[in-house]
Amino acid sequence: MKTATITPIAAGLLAATTLAGSAFAQSGPIKIGVVTPLSGTYTPIGQQVRWGLELAAKEINAAGGIAGRQVNLLFEDEEANPSVAVQKAEKLFQVEKVDFLTGTVNSGSTLAVAQLAERNAKLAATTVSFADSITTDKCSPNMFRVNARAEQQSVALAAWLAKEKPKAKVFYLGPDYEMGRSTVAAFKSSAEKGGAQSGGEVFAPLDSKDYTQYFGQIRAARPQVVYTSVAGNDTVRLLTQLQDFGLLSGLTVVGASGTVTSQNITAIGAAAEGFATGVGYSPQIDSPANKKFVAAFREANKTDPDLYGADSYGLLFAYKAAVEKAGSTETDKVREALRGLSWQTPQGTKTIRAGDHQAMQPMYVVRVTKGKFDIIDNVSSENAIGPDTCTRF
Amino acid sequence: MHDRLTQSMRASHLLALLFVLASLALAAMGTATDDTFYLRLGTEALIFAGLALSVDLLLGYSGVLSLGQALYFGIGAYVSALTLMKVPSFWLAMAAAFTASLLAAIIGGLIANRVRGVYFALITFGLAQVLAKVVYNTRELGSSDGMIGIPVIEIAFGPFSVSTGSPVGFFLIVLVVIMALYALTAYLLDTPFGRVLTALKSNERRVPFLGYSAWRARMAAYVLAGVVAGLSGALYPMLRGFVSPELMFFATSGNAVISVVLGGVGTLAGAIYGSVLLVILKSIIGSWTEHHLIVIGLIFMLCVLFLPKGLAGVLRPPVEAWLSRHRRIPGPVPDAPVLPAIAVDTKAAPQ
Amino acid sequence: MTPVDYLQFVLAPQVVNGLALGIAVVLVALGLTIIFGMLDVINMSHGEFYAIGAYAALALGAAGVGFWFLLILVPVLMVPLGMVAERLLIRPVFDTKDRHVTTLLVTFGLGLIVEDVLKIIFGANTQRPPTPIPGATEILGIILPNYRIFLILVGVAIVLGVAYVVYKTRLGAMVRAAAFDRNMAASLGVPVSLVYAGTFAFGVSLAGLAGVLLAPIYSVFPTMGRDFILLAFTVVIVGGMGSIWGAVVAGLLLTQVQALASLIISPVWTDPIVFGTMVAFLVFRPQGLFGRLGHA
Repeated sequence: MKTATITPIAAGLLAATTLAGSAFAQSGPIKIGVVTPLSGTYTPIGQQVRWGLELAAKEINAAGGIAGRQVNLLFEDEEANPSVAVQKAEKLFQVEKVDFLTGTVNSGSTLAVAQLAERNAKLAATTVSFADSITTDKCSPNMFRVNARAEQQSVALAAWLAKEKPKAKVFYLGPDYEMGRSTVAAFKSSAEKGGAQSGGEVFAPLDSKDYTQYFGQIRAARPQVVYTSVAGNDTVRLLTQLQDFGLLSGLTVVGASGTVTSQNITAIGAAAEGFATGVGYSPQIDSPANKKFVAAFREANKTDPDLYGADSYGLLFAYKAAVEKAGSTETDKVREALRGLSWQTPQGTKTIRAGDHQAMQPMYVVRVTKGKFDIIDNVSSENAIGPDTCTRF
Repeated sequence: MHDRLTQSMRASHLLALLFVLASLALAAMGTATDDTFYLRLGTEALIFAGLALSVDLLLGYSGVLSLGQALYFGIGAYVSALTLMKVPSFWLAMAAAFTASLLAAIIGGLIANRVRGVYFALITFGLAQVLAKVVYNTRELGSSDGMIGIPVIEIAFGPFSVSTGSPVGFFLIVLVVIMALYALTAYLLDTPFGRVLTALKSNERRVPFLGYSAWRARMAAYVLAGVVAGLSGALYPMLRGFVSPELMFFATSGNAVISVVLGGVGTLAGAIYGSVLLVILKSIIGSWTEHHLIVIGLIFMLCVLFLPKGLAGVLRPPVEAWLSRHRRIPGPVPDAPVLPAIAVDTKAAPQ
Repeated sequence: MTPVDYLQFVLAPQVVNGLALGIAVVLVALGLTIIFGMLDVINMSHGEFYAIGAYAALALGAAGVGFWFLLILVPVLMVPLGMVAERLLIRPVFDTKDRHVTTLLVTFGLGLIVEDVLKIIFGANTQRPPTPIPGATEILGIILPNYRIFLILVGVAIVLGVAYVVYKTRLGAMVRAAAFDRNMAASLGVPVSLVYAGTFAFGVSLAGLAGVLLAPIYSVFPTMGRDFILLAFTVVIVGGMGSIWGAVVAGLLLTQVQALASLIISPVWTDPIVFGTMVAFLVFRPQGLFGRLGHA
């Protein structure tokens, strides 16, 4: 069987919900649940997700909705806590009877919500989590990912680095938890395939106050490049402290796509200059679709979209295309329609790979110049995607 | 005559009984309306009520504030999850969680019970932080992502069997477990051990002269609390199918403390009411505004300032008054499981 | 890496950077230890007052107030805030049987509220005021940013100033007297109620000052209050409640332990080590390094 192996209970539920649902579900608005952090440390990301989805829903509704039905977004705060995410997601599935769910940010929440979606026979998608596991060893038939995963990002960045700084000595600094370590490992292996040498690596605790204690090791290693996968406030501290200590001169800092984003770039200020990363989106992408999107986003939210906002915006159009292709919002039909779907987003054409539900998309290497993410290189979607290792479906 | 402790305990039992009745009504309503979400939310509230119960046992009876009770809750949850993924047996998972939380609570108790007051609060806070960090960084335990894929299991009692996937079935199972934990705790508090704890709270220095060891009583309370938290935690992965390190974070411990304060410190039944109240509050406020911290924080603060006995402080006096008017009539057995009620009667007889 | 390289690039900077972090921790812990030691009140919202100070500096700085003036203005503005908080939240529960627990709970609630209010006013994104003193100085091959040198110097000055006020002035004597025996102090004419409110406000004001000083280094965001709080509490306990010298020694010691330990083992384990130190102190020397102020 190619679809989910569902427990008898879930199957019963499925029967109950589809029976009850199919009678009226094909009329009235399409409900999309959004479980995203609106409080706590991940609030800035949740905001972008919300803004991206709201803009897309507004545009879709203005143009007549999905298959003639209006889109309703229902938001719930998941507090970046998987236990809360699952509770809120269940509420949206069971009480609000949403047709589709998205918004989770940290990978723990995404994985837990994927399992819940399976048990409720509904579909969900993430637009933010980039842990490879979500579409590799822990892939789920009911979860889709429309943003670029860690490997796509590091492949793009490593390819650029090999051209720009051949045989560079790279020092790796990651946050000391699973995600940080696997991101560093992924980039390291890509970079070393391109000829880079390792100048050493160090893992700092999450929410480190002071990174200066690692600067000695960095100085002693005399690297040309520092790779980091810290994020949020941690990046602000790391980069500004590097700058204060005069370590940034002559050093190229590269990192994960979540390291420098529109949320923290103002706080980092000049210390962000020259930072390069492999990413699936930049507001600087020079296409009419993106210019239109950026202008509308700015108009609505008084700030630039970042990758989270753009990927969330794009998701609704994928869902629209799939529902219209399937002619229904039923789980199995929409799943089939999403598989292999190609659709237009601000960052170009994306295609959902049927084998692991991971979106393939052109990848960009962007560098911060005067506070803007300038595109300096790109990698085609085929070259960045990496093998399909999902074996569950 | 009953003494005041017995009297207030009986009032708590009556409140607990009301709670059970309300829960059964919810279960019936849930079944009638074919509801899933509210029953499962109720189940979650009950599970966290078990955690609140353990915080109240410490705060209300041993007089120490634990800011890290989620430690044992998390241990119970992880051990239960690991067991269920190997062997899908409810009883084995509960037994494993019991053993693990018992051992952990003995170790934790040996450290934390060296100190009192605010030091105790900080030590328990720190212990939980450290263990949560260890779990957060241990690949075998799924590190920061936690573990998914805990199966839906069948719980067998002789000829009967209930699936954890059945909203009403599992709700009733959890209700039984949590009320059994309540009954056990209430029963133990009514034994001499409980009396020593109460005596310690009112006058710490005199108790040793009565020949009781203060340390031993407190240690016992701590271990009991750890086990109560651990067994409650063991139910969590059965309900949600996953565990994550957030279960051990301060937010979880803090919510339990908030529940106890809302429900009324030192009333046991209050902890259960408080936990349900908090879940309802969070669910309502959370959908209404993302600034739920302000609302919860404000209610909590006002409660500490103006309603130090919490919800139970409001509910219990009339119940107590009613009980004292009816004390000669052997009324309905004031608790679902019979044990504590019997114990109360035999204790009270000679007085 | 040669031994000389190791000494110059790793060991020496580690010690010096640990010192700057140590001063930062001491600054945060100072107000905490005063409130803790003298009033016997656990202020769980101390971290949030630190955050308020940082946000005040950010907002006033953006409005054109100079950094040097902020160093005075923000602590002064924090005083009425502390007075009000003491009057509304601490005073009503000051005489309950278990003051530690009740004040801890009340201030915990306050912390939740403040965090969310800061988010409403200033948004969720991280912000950072510009570094007031840019540039770096090289001393014996160790590079140290000028602002950190300034922080170390100012930190020392603040600690000395506070210690002078508490231990050497008549005001400090009144506070210590009120902490030691309220009734005795009252009968000797100490305005106990005012002294309590003033002491709390003083602690809060110190938290605000720490916020102003540390914002350029550690950046500003709504949940920043949680950052230092465990470390600060540890410092207060290890140093001895209310002991200013204890807080200084413990703060510097613990950050050095942290800095040097992170050279040998994975930095993730430095937190457990710091916490282990706290547990060891609580178990074997609960009065801390220097014993408790006013309760010698």
